Amino acid sequence: MLGELGGLFISLHFSNAAQVVVLGFVGGVLSGFIGSGGAFFMTPGMMNLGVPGIVAVGSNITHKFGKAMMGSKKHGEMGHVDKKLGGYLLVTSFVGIRIAVWINSMLFKGGGGSHGVGGGAASDLYISLVFVTILFFVAVSMLKDAFSSGGSDDSEGGPSTKLVEFFSRLYLPPMINFPVADVKISLWILMIVGLATGYLAGTIGVGGFIGVPAMIYVFGLPTQVAAGTELYLAMFMGGFGALNYAYEGYVDIRLTMLMYLGSLIGIYFGAYGTKVVKEVIIRIVTGMIIILCVFSRGIAIPMYMRQLGWLNINPGYDIYFNQASKALLFISGITGTLVILFYVVKAYRQRNRTYATLKATSTMKQRMEAAGVKAAGS
Amino acid sequence: MQIICIGRGSYSKGKELAETLAENIGCQCVSREDMIEEAIKSGVAVGKLETAILKPHIFNERLAIEKELFQAFSTKYLLERAATNGGLVYHGRAGHLLLPGISHVLRVRVVADKEFRINDVMNRLNLNRAKAKSYIESVDEDIRRWVRMYYGVEWEEASQYDVILNLEQMHAWNAATALCALAELPEFQITPASRKAIADQLLAARARLALAEDESTYNARLAVRADNGTVSVVYQLQQAEAADKIPEVLKKLDGVKDVVCTMAQSNILWIQEKYDPESESFKNIFSLAQKWDSAVELLRLVPSEGNEQDETIQVTGAPDAAELKSGTGGGRKKGAYNGGIEDDDDEQVEREDDGGLNRTLTELARLGRSGGGRSVRTTPRRLVKAIDHSVEYNLLVVGDVFLSKGHAAQVRMAQEMCGLLNEKIKVPVVMADELKQQFFFGTRQLLNMLAYLTITAVIYFTVFTHQAQILEFLHDDNPTAKILSAGAVFVFVPVVAYVYGTASSLFLKLLRIE
Repeated sequence: MLGELGGLFISLHFSNAAQVVVLGFVGGVLSGFIGSGGAFFMTPGMMNLGVPGIVAVGSNITHKFGKAMMGSKKHGEMGHVDKKLGGYLLVTSFVGIRIAVWINSMLFKGGGGSHGVGGGAASDLYISLVFVTILFFVAVSMLKDAFSSGGSDDSEGGPSTKLVEFFSRLYLPPMINFPVADVKISLWILMIVGLATGYLAGTIGVGGFIGVPAMIYVFGLPTQVAAGTELYLAMFMGGFGALNYAYEGYVDIRLTMLMYLGSLIGIYFGAYGTKVVKEVIIRIVTGMIIILCVFSRGIAIPMYMRQLGWLNINPGYDIYFNQASKALLFISGITGTLVILFYVVKAYRQRNRTYATLKATSTMKQRMEAAGVKAAGS
Repeated sequence: MQIICIGRGSYSKGKELAETLAENIGCQCVSREDMIEEAIKSGVAVGKLETAILKPHIFNERLAIEKELFQAFSTKYLLERAATNGGLVYHGRAGHLLLPGISHVLRVRVVADKEFRINDVMNRLNLNRAKAKSYIESVDEDIRRWVRMYYGVEWEEASQYDVILNLEQMHAWNAATALCALAELPEFQITPASRKAIADQLLAARARLALAEDESTYNARLAVRADNGTVSVVYQLQQAEAADKIPEVLKKLDGVKDVVCTMAQSNILWIQEKYDPESESFKNIFSLAQKWDSAVELLRLVPSEGNEQDETIQVTGAPDAAELKSGTGGGRKKGAYNGGIEDDDDEQVEREDDGGLNRTLTELARLGRSGGGRSVRTTPRRLVKAIDHSVEYNLLVVGDVFLSKGHAAQVRMAQEMCGLLNEKIKVPVVMADELKQQFFFGTRQLLNMLAYLTITAVIYFTVFTHQAQILEFLHDDNPTAKILSAGAVFVFVPVVAYVYGTASSLFLKLLRIE
C-alpha cells in the first residue's frame, strides 16, 4: 500500500524516526531561544532525510499549528498580543498561504495531475531557493545588528529605524490605530506584510522570520509585542496551512508527531537560555545558526538542478550533496543547541554557587547575632 | 514640607500657575525643563528615552537601565530640593507620577482650552493655525506615549489626580489661591509615614545612582528599595559578578545601615492582609521563588472602610529587616477633619500591628528572596494604582484578604480582585491556595502526568501501528475524503500537542526544570 505513496511519505524505521525526534528537539531549543519557530532547521532537516520538500513544509506547518496554540495563551496573559493587528494581518496572510500552497502543488505535480519525481525536484528547488534567499538576508541583518553594537549591550541598541521612519513619512491612508502596540499603520503596508508572511509560512514554514522583523522594522512594534502577536498569528496561519496542505494530501502526521516528541521538551531549555544569555549573544548565536542552515540548504541546490536536467553532474554525486548538506545542518543545529545548553548549565551552576555563598553568609550572620555581635554589611 | 506636582500639557498656563503658587507658598518652583537639564548633566540619557517613545523597538537593556536612572534621578532631584527649600512646586508632563507612594503630595492637572493653546502657539512660534494645531496635537501625543511607556498609565485618566483645574475661565492667580487653600488640608500635610517614605525613596534613589557611578556596577539592571536604612537590591543572574561589589559601593553612602542583595530573574508580588513566615502559603511562595529565581515583594492590603469616592491610599514603610524593629506605620488617615493635627496614638496602633510584614520580610531577606514590602490601606479598585508599574512582575499571588468578612464573601471578593488585577496589570494572577495545584508537583500532578502519558502512548501506538491505513486516508484523492482528512488533521494535531505538551510540562516540573 505504501508503494503508491512511497514517493511522498518515507518509510519510517527506528533510525530515521529518532533523527526526526532529534530535529524536533534541536528545533524546539532554537525556537525557545530565538522566539520564532524552529522550522528553519526542521524543514531542511526532513528534506535531508528524504522527505519531499512539500511534505516537509506541510508537516512542519501542521506541527507549528499545535505548538503556537499552546504558546500564544501565555503571551496573551502577559498583554503581548495585539489581536487587532493580528486580525488585520491574518486576512491577507491566508491569501499568501493559498498562493504558496498553489505554487508548491503546481510545481510538485509538474503541472499535471500526478506526483512525479521531476515535479518533486522542482518543488524542492523552489523551496530551497526561497529558503536560502530569505534566511540569508535575515541572518546577515541579524549579525550586522549584533556586530555593529561592538558585541556589547551598551550601544544605541536595537534594530535600525530607517524603514519605520520611511513608512511614517510615506503616509498611505487609511491609517489604522493599534492600541496595544501603540502604533498607526497604513492598511496597504499591513496587507503587503500579511501577504508576505503568509506566503513564506506556506512556502518554507518560516513565516515568523518575515513577520517578526517586519513588525519590528516596518511597524515599529516593541519586540515582545511583535513576538506575541506573531505567535497568535502563527496559530491561525498554522491551522489554515495545515488544512490546506492536509486537503492536498501533503501532511505526514507521523513526522508531525515525532517532531512534537522532541520540540515540546526542547522549547523549555531554549526559553531558559534566553533568561541567562545576553541579548547580543542571542543575536550572534541565532545569526550563525541560521547562516549555517542557509549554507546547508545551498549545498543541496545543485542536486535538485541536476534532477531537473539543468546541470550535468554525475547522479552518483547526489548522495554526497545530500550527506554534506545534512552534516552541515546537523552540525549547525547541534552546535547551536550545545552552545545554548552550555550557557544554561553554566548559569545553573553559578546560581547554585551563589546560593551556597548566601546560605553560608546567612548562617554566619545568625551565629554572630546569636552571640550578640551585630554583623556589618550584608 | 509641602510638595505639589502639577501635570501639564504645553501652553496650558501650567507654568504660570506653578510659579504663582510657589511664590504664594514660599517655596521653590521647578520645571521639567530644569530637571531634564540637570539629568543630562549627570549623564542620564534622557534624549534616548525621549526617542524611544516614538520608536519603542529601540528600547533595549541599556535603555531599561537609563529608565531606572532617570526615575532615581528625578526622585533625588525633587526630594532634595523639597527638603532644602521647605517644599516644592513642580510642573511638567508627568508631574503627578514622579513621587509615587508619598502620601501628602498634592497632584494637580492643569488643562486649558485648545483654542487658547493654539492661539498662544501661533503668537509665540509665529506659526499658522494649521501648523500650531498640529504642533499642539503632536506634543500631546508625545506626552501620552511617554506616560504610557514609562509609567504604564493613561495621561488623561482623571483618577490619578487629586484635582483637575480648567484654566479656560479661571485666572492663574486665582487658581493658585485655590490650590493654596487646598494644600492646607490635613490630607496634604506631611505625616510620620510620608516623612519615612521620603527618607526611604531618597536613600533608594541615591543608592541607585551611586551604583550607576561605580565602574563595576554601572551596567547592571538593579531594582533598589530602601527601608529605615536597609537597602534591598534585586539583581539578575547575568550580573552575579557585579553583585559582589554592591555592598562595597553602598556602604560608603550616608544613611545606609544594611544591604540585602537578592538575585532574581523575575518578580512575584504577594498581596495579603496578614503574613506569617510559618504558613503554608509562605512555604509555597518561597519554593516557587526558588524555582523561578524570583524576588518576592510583599504588598499588605488593609481594606479601606471608606466608600469609593473619598478613599485614600495610605502607604506605610516596610520594616527593618535586619534589626527586626517593629517601627512602621502611620500615613495619612482618612476620616474626620482634624485641622492638620495627626493623632500619634493611631500611628502607634499601626506600628504595633503590621500584620506580620516585618517577620515575613526578615525571613525572605534571610533566604535571599526579599523584594521589599509595604502596607497599603485602600479598596481593591484603587489597589491597582498602589502597585509599582515600573516593576515587571511575572506573577501576582493573592492570599488571605478581607479577613473581617465571612468566608463566602472573602472568597468572592478575593476572586473579584484577582479578575480586576489580571485585567489591569496584564500579569497572571493566582490565589495563594491555587499555587500548589498550578505550579508544584504533588500526587495530583503525578496522576495527571501518568494519565496524559498513557493517553500519549495510546495515540502514538495506534498511529504507528496503523501507518499505512492512516497515510492512505490522508492521501485519498476523493473530494469527500480530502475534506475529511483535512478536518481530521485539523482536530487531531492540537489534541496531540495538548496531551503530550501537558505530559512533558508536568514531567519537566517533576525534574524542576521550568
